[in-house]
Amino acid sequence: MANKLKERVVIAGVGCTRFGDLLETPELRGLSLQELAANAAREALEDAGLTSADVDAVFVGNAMVHSSQLPATYSQLSKWLGGQFKAGVHFEAQCSTTNVGAAMAAMAIASGAYDTVLVVGVETTRTKVKGMSPWERESISHQTTWMWTDMAVNQAYQVPQGYDIFSTYNGLVALGYCRKYGVSIEDFDRGMFELCRTRCLHGSLTPKANSQETLEAKAARHGFTDPYAFWKSQHNPFVAWPSRLMSLVTTADGASAMVLTRPDLVRQGTKPVEFKGFGISYRDLPWYDEDPTDWEFDRRSVAAAVEMSGVDVADIGYLHTHDCSHISSLCTAEMIGYIEPGKALDYAREGRLRFDGDRPMSTHGGRHAFGHAWAASAGSDTYEAVQQMRGTAGARQIAKPPVAAMIHTHGYAMIGTTIVLAAA
Amino acid sequence: MDTAVLQDSAIRTFYEALGEGRLEGRRCRKCGKITFPPTNCCEHCGSFDVEWTTLSGKGTLLFATHNITPACHPRFEPIAPYVYGHIRLDEGVIVQAIVRGIEATPEALEAVYDKGPIPVKAAVMEMPDLPVLVFEPVG
Repeated sequence: MANKLKERVVIAGVGCTRFGDLLETPELRGLSLQELAANAAREALEDAGLTSADVDAVFVGNAMVHSSQLPATYSQLSKWLGGQFKAGVHFEAQCSTTNVGAAMAAMAIASGAYDTVLVVGVETTRTKVKGMSPWERESISHQTTWMWTDMAVNQAYQVPQGYDIFSTYNGLVALGYCRKYGVSIEDFDRGMFELCRTRCLHGSLTPKANSQETLEAKAARHGFTDPYAFWKSQHNPFVAWPSRLMSLVTTADGASAMVLTRPDLVRQGTKPVEFKGFGISYRDLPWYDEDPTDWEFDRRSVAAAVEMSGVDVADIGYLHTHDCSHISSLCTAEMIGYIEPGKALDYAREGRLRFDGDRPMSTHGGRHAFGHAWAASAGSDTYEAVQQMRGTAGARQIAKPPVAAMIHTHGYAMIGTTIVLAAA
Repeated sequence: MDTAVLQDSAIRTFYEALGEGRLEGRRCRKCGKITFPPTNCCEHCGSFDVEWTTLSGKGTLLFATHNITPACHPRFEPIAPYVYGHIRLDEGVIVQAIVRGIEATPEALEAVYDKGPIPVKAAVMEMPDLPVLVFEPVG
């Protein structure tokens, strides 16, 4: 495997809607799925200084068609984006969808097949089509969301035999981490609290985040002056001991988009970022062998992305690792080499993972605060990395905009996907 | 239609054997490794030259946590919360499954964690629509 992009490729524009709930979030309430997706695509096209007429192909990702009921999304969106007669495909790589789409676009551009590709991800994990209405939606129960989502997980054996994402992704990994590094359960709990506090702080500084409330404000709203007492209260139960509810994903409706093109086609006045490399590696359950913190497919996806990009991990100034499970995200960051092995909880306690720390991560709030709209989420992570690299991240801007960034996502279950971006 | 010959299916064979209390996997004739639960080829080397093998059901519980309530799948709603374990079978295969005989409470799970790996054996939990592989502590 050559593991190379034969020509340079840039992300010329990015777009992302607010993540939230189509029934109640102010910026989203009343939108159709078509309009939700088109809003993200329009922002990406305008960011690139292009219109859909400049696009050769449209790759649209949607993972949970049970709630969207919108297969063949590329053609169904064509009149909402202002362009038809393009090449199109509907695809999914679950929660890695948009970044796998970026990798597919990069391959298409580097090969010479297309010059410019629009990638769109759209997902509704909070709401579904109501009856057979073309525009009305209704809430999805927790159980239904996971039953539909788990259709991407081993349906022959694991799901029918009692598999639970929170046990496998959180509780068992947490215990493996504590045993491996001699961390007490109490210290683990405190470290998870600090990480959640950082992610909530980031969400509070991100206008497009699903939750924009600091952990301190949330605690106060429930009558607690000590946020750690709130953390350990009935409001934050164990969902898979020793992992608690606030160390998990928050579901959301949302859409994201990006435009990839050749560097020589970039419009003047725009701010492209180079798409330097990617790595994709998947594995069915179990995702790990004896050591729950050691995920072989993640190591492979990161190694492939690093090799293709030629970027030294030491030069990465911004990292997002998939954080449906906060402890898993830290294990990945340690494996990458962004954090010293066994020290992630210390980094969280010392504030080093904050936007103003020396190892900034997930400055949009990650899957807990920004929220998780499966197929759209990787695009939201890339959107944030691009803002940080451009120096346009507002109140959460990293003081020195990073010249290289890495975005790692887990497509359920499991597609380890890593992309590396660098200043163009 | 129902007179057509029933084709072999690894999934059907697994569940029928489980219903009779046996753990059926497949051993690769090429590399010797076990694929469990069974598929139609070797998950390790990709060879389709595989044969059925019965596993002992003996293993070691490495870590134990519990699931969320309500359960993610309606089948398991009546028994949630339940303990879910990370298990190494004596044959070397890693399995994750429901564990019976341990309470799904932080206190009980912390006691198991403090104790370290413990021996377990396979059992079958009969759900209304499906036999489910579970493990129980030995002794």
